[in-house]
Amino acid sequence: MRGLYQLFAAYGNFLLFLALEGLSLVLLLQYNYRQQAIYDHSLLLLSSSAERQVDQLGDYINLRDEVLKLQGENQQLKQALESAKFSNAVQQDTVSNDSLEQLYTYIPANVIGNSINNTINYIRLDRGRKHGVAPNMGVISADGIVGVVRAVSEHYASVMSLLHRQTRIKAAVGSDGYFGTLRWTGKDPQYMQLEAIPKHAPVEVGDTVYTSGYSQLFPEGIMVGTVSEVKPPPGRNFYAIQVKLRNDLGKLRYVYVVNNLMREEHEELDETINE
Amino acid sequence: MNSAVGIHIFRFVALLLLQGLILKRISAGWMGYVYFDVLLYPLFIILLPLRTPRSLVMISAFLLGLGVDLFYGTIGLHAAASVFTAYLRAFVLSQLEPREGYNVDFSPTKAQLGAPWFFRYASIMLGIHLFAYFSIDAFSPVFFADIVVKTLYSFLFSMFFIIIMVLIFNPRQ
Repeated sequence: MRGLYQLFAAYGNFLLFLALEGLSLVLLLQYNYRQQAIYDHSLLLLSSSAERQVDQLGDYINLRDEVLKLQGENQQLKQALESAKFSNAVQQDTVSNDSLEQLYTYIPANVIGNSINNTINYIRLDRGRKHGVAPNMGVISADGIVGVVRAVSEHYASVMSLLHRQTRIKAAVGSDGYFGTLRWTGKDPQYMQLEAIPKHAPVEVGDTVYTSGYSQLFPEGIMVGTVSEVKPPPGRNFYAIQVKLRNDLGKLRYVYVVNNLMREEHEELDETINE
Repeated sequence: MNSAVGIHIFRFVALLLLQGLILKRISAGWMGYVYFDVLLYPLFIILLPLRTPRSLVMISAFLLGLGVDLFYGTIGLHAAASVFTAYLRAFVLSQLEPREGYNVDFSPTKAQLGAPWFFRYASIMLGIHLFAYFSIDAFSPVFFADIVVKTLYSFLFSMFFIIIMVLIFNPRQ
């Protein structure tokens, strides 16, 4: 009580000032439309900006679920694409929908391990045998191709990255579709070499490099990158083409494992020939 | 003592009526935009005796402002500005204190403290009041330029009326 009295003795005038000024402002906002409107508007701005902050936080927390949902959707869409189908039509002009058969299915996966700075780089995925992943399946991301599955366990898969000295991927270049083999020289993780493009092919800097579909690993027409340098080496019949990858393998997060449903048929054929 | 209180009550009512019934009509501008108001009622706050308790200054200013608000139809606006001015009165007085100090029985009037001192004091108080008034009226720092323009115009006209009133009545208390 004594403390309260001292408080009033010391700050009484100021407290009275605050009380009267507060009362005046309350009355002002109560009875004056213009000031009330400004006050409400300011309050709204303040609260909405605060709300937006909280919303963003919530978005971030829900991001994981969203990604999973989108992965599922992407999987559906990719499988519905024509490049994922096998056409049974014999005559071109009688193509109907029921002559298309599903050729590729996709298994969404998350990258849980990755490296780009060695000469032999592997990527680890959190999908394995249990989810239908098998060795020699292609792996793609939204921006292009990623690599080939080398080994699988029950829950994980080990993928040979594009950035691997043994990588050989059939790829086509330009509108004419001359195809060659993609290799990695082991230097720059942004660039690969496209080999075995014949010298008479019209290749220019900026041409698109895309998967040819010959390797049964990837559907046809997935963009790999662009031609950044064309050098006709003297005395050889093939270009040395440097390809700038569209996919940044250094920040890979979400990928799809490509399942070729007719792979066994191809293997059967191969065996028949080899016998 | 009683007569002194009576003078201030009379001044309170007179200024309130003068402001609310007559000076309210004097406001002008151009292009449909009000550029100045004449506010004479702060003279009451200005002229309260030096020994008036600060709390009483604020309460009477609040009541006067509320009364003016009733005439103007802007409940709370003049009251808020008046309370602000009344609260700052003590600071202004302490800043303007003459070298020999105040005589506690004095009122801050032209008759007792001299014309230069009084008009300096009155103009500072009026400036504070007008700035507070237009700031609270605009209610947003967005209109700062407007606030300053209105304060300057209103200051000229209001000060003119205050000088006339003080010269005519030359109040001692």
